[in-house]
Amino acid sequence: MTGRYLLSRGVGFVATLVAVSVLAFLLMHAVPGGPFDETHSPLPPAAKANMLRKYALDRPVWVQYSHYVWRALHGDFGIPYQSPTETVLGLLARVWPVTLRLGAIVVTLSFTLGLALGILAAVRHDTWLDTLLTFLATLGITVPNFIVAIWLIVILSVHLHWLPTGGWGDARLLIMPAIAYSLQPLAIVARYTRVAVLEALAGEYVRTAMAKGLSPSRVVLRHVLRNALIPMLTLLGPLVPDLFTGSIFIEFTFRIPGLGKFFVTSIFQRDYPMIMATVLLVAVVWSLVYMLSDVLYVVIDPRVRVGARGR
Amino acid sequence: MSVYRSTLLGMAVVLAIGFGGGALGATTNAVGKPLPPDAAPPDQQVLTGLTQPATTLDFFVSVYKRPENIDGNSWSDDLSTPLVRLDKNFALIPAAATSWDVSSDGQTWTFHLDKTQVWSDGTPVTADDFVATFRLGADPKVAWDFAWFFGAIKGWDDAVRGAIPVDQIGVRRGEDPYTLVVTTKAPAPYLPGMMLYSPPLNARALAKYGPFYNTDPKTSVSSGPYVLQEWTKDQQIVLVANPTYRGVKPYIQKVVLKFADLQTEFLAYLSNEVDVAANFSPADLEMIDKTPGLRAQYHQGFGDFRTYYLGFDTMNPPFNNLKVRQAFSHAIDREGLVQAVIKRQGIAAYGFLMPGFPGSHQDDLKSIQAYDPATAKQLLAEAGYPAGQGFPKLELWLRGERALGQAVGNAIAAMLSQNLGIQVDVPNKETKLFMDTLNSHKLQFYMVSYGMDYLDPSNMLGIWVSGGRHAWKNDTFDRLVGTASSMVGSPEKRMAMFHEAEKTLVSDVGFIPIYFVTPGFMWKPYLHGDALTPDKIGVAAWHWPGWDGLSTLHQSVYVTQDVSKYRR
Repeated sequence: MTGRYLLSRGVGFVATLVAVSVLAFLLMHAVPGGPFDETHSPLPPAAKANMLRKYALDRPVWVQYSHYVWRALHGDFGIPYQSPTETVLGLLARVWPVTLRLGAIVVTLSFTLGLALGILAAVRHDTWLDTLLTFLATLGITVPNFIVAIWLIVILSVHLHWLPTGGWGDARLLIMPAIAYSLQPLAIVARYTRVAVLEALAGEYVRTAMAKGLSPSRVVLRHVLRNALIPMLTLLGPLVPDLFTGSIFIEFTFRIPGLGKFFVTSIFQRDYPMIMATVLLVAVVWSLVYMLSDVLYVVIDPRVRVGARGR
Repeated sequence: MSVYRSTLLGMAVVLAIGFGGGALGATTNAVGKPLPPDAAPPDQQVLTGLTQPATTLDFFVSVYKRPENIDGNSWSDDLSTPLVRLDKNFALIPAAATSWDVSSDGQTWTFHLDKTQVWSDGTPVTADDFVATFRLGADPKVAWDFAWFFGAIKGWDDAVRGAIPVDQIGVRRGEDPYTLVVTTKAPAPYLPGMMLYSPPLNARALAKYGPFYNTDPKTSVSSGPYVLQEWTKDQQIVLVANPTYRGVKPYIQKVVLKFADLQTEFLAYLSNEVDVAANFSPADLEMIDKTPGLRAQYHQGFGDFRTYYLGFDTMNPPFNNLKVRQAFSHAIDREGLVQAVIKRQGIAAYGFLMPGFPGSHQDDLKSIQAYDPATAKQLLAEAGYPAGQGFPKLELWLRGERALGQAVGNAIAAMLSQNLGIQVDVPNKETKLFMDTLNSHKLQFYMVSYGMDYLDPSNMLGIWVSGGRHAWKNDTFDRLVGTASSMVGSPEKRMAMFHEAEKTLVSDVGFIPIYFVTPGFMWKPYLHGDALTPDKIGVAAWHWPGWDGLSTLHQSVYVTQDVSKYRR
């Protein structure tokens, strides 16, 4: 059963990649403007034709696509127009680890702190602490991270001169981006945890556990949390790939040489090889994370079974 | 006790060297240039700036992918010495060429190279380097993004088209390796000015490593004031003064360019991480205005003589009707716009050539499109749209404008609505989409800007010659600009023809000039130097092309001892 399940997921995965790549390829070529339309004056038609020929953009789109797929299958994803001195894979190998490192910090921060604060708010619910935490969480969700980023720079760099406004390579430089980037996911996690824990606390098994004489902290950690984690998985799904592919705002504002900005600059510059690379990367990351969260459901929730039919 | 004694002794030695050094002779920087008396120590002679992402420092590799923080400050071409440079008065100064002369027919220019110039690997800079560089630019396989620029050179366009080999373009070695001969299609009196854009690549490095050899210190070779020390992709470029440079050596011995989102430039400036800044939001400007300390560091210049204007599709209704265009031109209150919206960042424009640019005659053009709502209404009625009735709903496209440009666009729409009764939406379009539509002449109504490439009216007015990016055609204008551009021998007559052409452009309302950009540049009070003092018309600015090998700015700027109050 499990083998068949994995096979079907695998086929679905490949089909997704094909569909995404075809769509992205067609869309990016359909958008007006090309990589070599300059902002100054029109290039002489001959010069423009040269450029298109150089990058094989003068061929029909389906020919370009099949060439792309053929080369991609051989590990050649082309040369980014934005950075012609390296390959697309070389660029990804350079910038993605930067984004992953920041993403890992943000995921760790937001899930540990978020979980802790969520539980705290639920356990102390309807107290001033709960109100305060809920208020802060709402603020964290509604204020965009680039605003937080600018606040942090104004306070910590411009006024207090504690930290540089941006850069990469020194652990100190991670402080502001980690805070600015974590606040929103942290707030989301905290709010969801609070609701999930509150619901779980109302469950009959909690009353039973309490009646058996278990200490409240043990009840929360052993029974409540495990049940509360199930909706958290649904939440983790979309959050993690987002954090692991970076944020243009955070990376631009703090001068972080990561992947995030390429999602936007590639499109603005009609950098076709990088558009394809970023789109495919996102597709792969999302597919993997969804597969993983499906597996984790089975591990955490005994009621979920692969191939189980409703009774 | 002995510890104290040795400490005291050490201090005495340091003091003796410090004072003695001053008495014996000035301190010199890393390349042996004596520093001015008020200069900070050599290790403080560092200049840091932010730049947009870049892939090359070299003009002939890509013009648009070089580091810059605004259009008027390109932070590049420092690894090369062009034939000529610009000083703060926009005068041409000999650089790699010590002199030049032109044949009697005005079509063959001979540049005599400075024989003392060497590359940082010790080999001489020769005409062959320039020839290889220009051939690269004309090579159809290279597809250079500025290939349109050198059309005046004989054979250039044909080579770009692939019709003739690149070795047949009119850029050749003369009788010896230190003579460069440039032949033009027609007389081109502006050619020396164009040769500002001649920073050569090293012919051998180019052949061996390809055009990007200057992105890696291991393959980089320089004939300019700096050499490449570091290029960390997406992070920073570090340049240090070139010890083998034979021109005027810089005081600033290290330049650090950090790749960044330029919206953060002002914050980086305030926190003393960069020494200069040029990107300000309206809120930043308000803060600068209200803070005397900052106000004193803010300097307004010409930038790249950029003009913002409204353009139309004059080939199709409704803008093929001159009266409609005239009505629009009289409905816009430029002075009001400057007062209320643009403020310090521009001055009202009534022509295309900004005051200070060669051939500019603003005063003479002022009345043609003057603000006059009554006349505007009347003209629109005569064109068949009384009080705007029946006029199609318009979109005024903007080209990826930031806050200021959007505010200007919306203010113009409000004026058109108020004065002509015409409803205008103002969509801010993405740059590529905008340019694609503009270049294909499908854009009905838009606001855009243009900044000069070289200091001659043939450049600015040349973009209005039919067949370019604008959907406007006027035979008189085409003829005047064509004749004046290649006129030799009578500069006054030539300028008069350009002025006549500009007048035609304004009278025929080929466009509606809105404002000339006067960009502000901030630099810290500890930056001194002749280049930063007032120019011949009294303007102290970080003049175009900025901290660039094509400029002389780097020759005189240094860091004073005041820097200790700022840098941590």
